[in-house]
Amino acid sequence: MHDGSHAVALESHWGGGVSPFGATWQKTMMWIFIVTDGLLFSGLLSGYAFLRMSSLAPWPDRTSVFSIPFIALMTFILITSSATMGTAVGASKLGDRKTALRFLILTIAGGAAFLGCQAYEWTHLIEHGARLTSNPWGSPQFMQSFFILTGFHGSHVLSGLVVLTITAIRTAMGKTPAQGVEMAGLYWHFVDLVWVFIFTLYYLV
Amino acid sequence: MSDTAAHGSPYRIYWITWGILLVITVAMLAAERFHLPRVFLVLFLIVFMLVKATMIGGNFMHLRYEQRNLAFIVAAGLLVTSVILFSFITPESLSVRARRSEPAPAAAVPAHHP
Repeated sequence: MHDGSHAVALESHWGGGVSPFGATWQKTMMWIFIVTDGLLFSGLLSGYAFLRMSSLAPWPDRTSVFSIPFIALMTFILITSSATMGTAVGASKLGDRKTALRFLILTIAGGAAFLGCQAYEWTHLIEHGARLTSNPWGSPQFMQSFFILTGFHGSHVLSGLVVLTITAIRTAMGKTPAQGVEMAGLYWHFVDLVWVFIFTLYYLV
Repeated sequence: MSDTAAHGSPYRIYWITWGILLVITVAMLAAERFHLPRVFLVLFLIVFMLVKATMIGGNFMHLRYEQRNLAFIVAAGLLVTSVILFSFITPESLSVRARRSEPAPAAAVPAHHP
């Protein structure tokens, strides 16, 4: 039947013979989760497009509401934390637990810094009168989209931090298999991926 | 993956990707400064947003090392569903907008006046 020459996956395939994706069931399930979570954000972004296009009040100029260098800094932090996460995944695959742990901690620091920036941004805007249903700079739908989009993204960063902290502690104890770090990494990169879309479609376009 | 031994650091790919993502981000921020026609600006931003997404999916999330069908089902599933969602939801916004901009039914109000 199949020659099996491409079956290079290191860990067990799901039972039932040929694995459709040549991946472990853990990875397959993680990808199913990521696709469904991605659909959540594509729904939110479509809703944002609807709100923006149907708004009669003028859509505020982003530079007058946000500090773009500050948003750029947040983006830089998140991209960097994704690179440190990739390094942690690579190190744990090579069995280098010390490097993996070091880069996991760096990733956690990056994620926490990003959340701190977001908390600062929210506080700043709320102090200036921004609410879920009102916006001192123009269209109320602008602030509605802002709080919903960045709120959902921020909650993903927060849950990512919980996952990473558990992974780091278990790595320090030598309990996390390389695949565990890889799964946490997939989720963390996904959070970065969502930010790419929010950053472009909300802050720049 | 034999390329880990061939190129010194096994983590090189992540930091190359990091550098490319940063350069693209800076280019996107800079594009805002030029007064391009809006269509070109939006097109430029969306194309590079998709390039960034591909770099993250391929290099960080290892989709380029997985079997092709996994990458296909993830990318096609998300892309097709997003296009369907967007194209069915957003055109309605124009009719909502048109209804909102109609003059308010103020003419009817005096009838309620005692």
